[in-house]
Amino acid sequence: MSRMIGRRDFIKTSAGAGLALAMSKALAASTGAAKAKAPVIAVGVGDDYGKSAVRAVELLGGIKKFVRKGSKVALLPNVQSRHPGSFTKPEILRAVIRLCKKAGASEINCLSWQTVKQWEDTGLKAVIESEGAGLKIFERDEALFRPVPVPDGVALKEARVLAALYDHDALINMPITKDHAGNKFTGTMKNLMGLNSPVNNRTFHRPNWKTDPDDVAHLDQCIVDLNKAVKPALNIVDATEFIVSNGPFGPGQLFRPRRVVAGTDRVAVDAYCAALWALKPEEIVQIKRAAEQGLGQIDPNKAILKEEDVI
Amino acid sequence: MTAARHRGAAIALTVFLAAGAWAALAWSGQKTLESLLPADGAAPGWSRDGEPQAFAGEDLYVYINGGAEIYQEYGFRRVVIQDYRNAAGRSLSLEIFEMETPAAAFGMFTFKRSGQGKDVPIGSGAELEDYYLNFWKGRYLATLTGFDESAATVAGLIAVGGRVEAMIMDTADPPPLVASLPAEGLRPGSVRYLRGLLGLNNVYPFPSAHGLGFAAAVKGDYGEGLFLVVMDYGSDAARETAWDELRAALEGSDKFEKVRASASGSMLFRDSRGRYAAFAPSGARIVFGVSSDLTASLLLVAQSR
Repeated sequence: MSRMIGRRDFIKTSAGAGLALAMSKALAASTGAAKAKAPVIAVGVGDDYGKSAVRAVELLGGIKKFVRKGSKVALLPNVQSRHPGSFTKPEILRAVIRLCKKAGASEINCLSWQTVKQWEDTGLKAVIESEGAGLKIFERDEALFRPVPVPDGVALKEARVLAALYDHDALINMPITKDHAGNKFTGTMKNLMGLNSPVNNRTFHRPNWKTDPDDVAHLDQCIVDLNKAVKPALNIVDATEFIVSNGPFGPGQLFRPRRVVAGTDRVAVDAYCAALWALKPEEIVQIKRAAEQGLGQIDPNKAILKEEDVI
Repeated sequence: MTAARHRGAAIALTVFLAAGAWAALAWSGQKTLESLLPADGAAPGWSRDGEPQAFAGEDLYVYINGGAEIYQEYGFRRVVIQDYRNAAGRSLSLEIFEMETPAAAFGMFTFKRSGQGKDVPIGSGAELEDYYLNFWKGRYLATLTGFDESAATVAGLIAVGGRVEAMIMDTADPPPLVASLPAEGLRPGSVRYLRGLLGLNNVYPFPSAHGLGFAAAVKGDYGEGLFLVVMDYGSDAARETAWDELRAALEGSDKFEKVRASASGSMLFRDSRGRYAAFAPSGARIVFGVSSDLTASLLLVAQSR
């Protein structure tokens, strides 16, 4: 679905593009030893979103770095709503399923406690079925979630993660980046709430500031803590066309940078995605705190950007 | 008691109950939320597609996972969702939210609109974007989403929306607090009516909630990057307490640098983006203006006191 954006969005787009470009230059400028351990942010740019996803993964070294032959792979696309720009594009999911097959995965499943209707309405269920992957939808039954300790948890000492995840060898996290009314930004880290129990998620969103005025960042800290407990093998972000207002559900204003972004460093990937739409990563509390708490690299000078147009 | 007196009492009771039922119906304004869904063909060319869905109270989290909190902050009751389709296969989705009060519906409308869409004459306020339409009327907020941008679909949004609007009997004006924004220079469509910190933090993020327990607030833009927020605390005493808490929180935050405080009780800070934020008490309210221009921030606040 391609849409025009309004004049103010164009301004926002330009500003975002400017920031991304500045970030790109900063990334390109980093050299030598700093680069040796620097996280890689791989980006495929173009109108064929499936090809862009494939290219982004190739730029990271190929799918076999992340999916071993015979392994069981769990996929986590965002299936929030069917409003345009609020869910992971089906063509990206299709490309990733095919990549996993190519790597020799023995089983590929999308895991979810969202409704079948959401998977149907977004077109993701049809892709899963046509590609021969599995869609495992679980009841919102707490018994189906496993308590998982959060190492160095600040707000959370324990997460409650869908137990079925642990029947798999690798998790590929597949969010769409977009606006969020609660904490301004959705990316790789926020998406993991899709594996956390709905009951526990509700506590993430609790307005703690009503009893503790200093706890305005409760949601952000919970997200960071959850990410300490669950580590995807790979993150592939839909940054092709997404809502920059009225998130996470929409409908909202659409922005179309035509990018699929891949990486293993969630902080670096989220920082890149935020900059795409003129957000300053250091002002996004979840990204800033995740960097401070050792989850990844927020400094663009200490990351490597590999970005290619896909024709 | 005679039979006649029994009969009289029964008639009186019947009249009383009937009056009560009528009053209850009139008070509720609508029989059910589903009764607001246009029937097949009510909007020419558009028919219902599938069964409606409905969610009430806390169940909104099932429908809007991760995004229900803002509706709850404003005051949410129920939502009904129905798809429509035309003969050409175009489709749209209609969501009707019943909020607790007209102020809540107005507030959620202002939160969802971009202010850059097209005003359309539906309900008490409506804005049409490229592919979606929001309008409010009484305590109802309707969001219609098209799944393409064709002229037929956009026309369908307006036609279906118009039918919904016609069936809503309630009417209401925006909350009186909105009028506290100075009219001169106010950008149409920029007004946001807020009911809590979640909404406020989407306008201007604060590092804590100290002093921000307002009953309602309103924000308006007066230029690029220049905006004013009026927060109402309900009483002078509540405002005085909030002012002290807010001042202490800002002075103690590393995200705000105190520039100066005046004898009139106003205070000026520079935020982490280098913008000037001027705060002033005004009766039961606190007003603050934000701009990269120091004079503009101060002037805006002065005009609103």
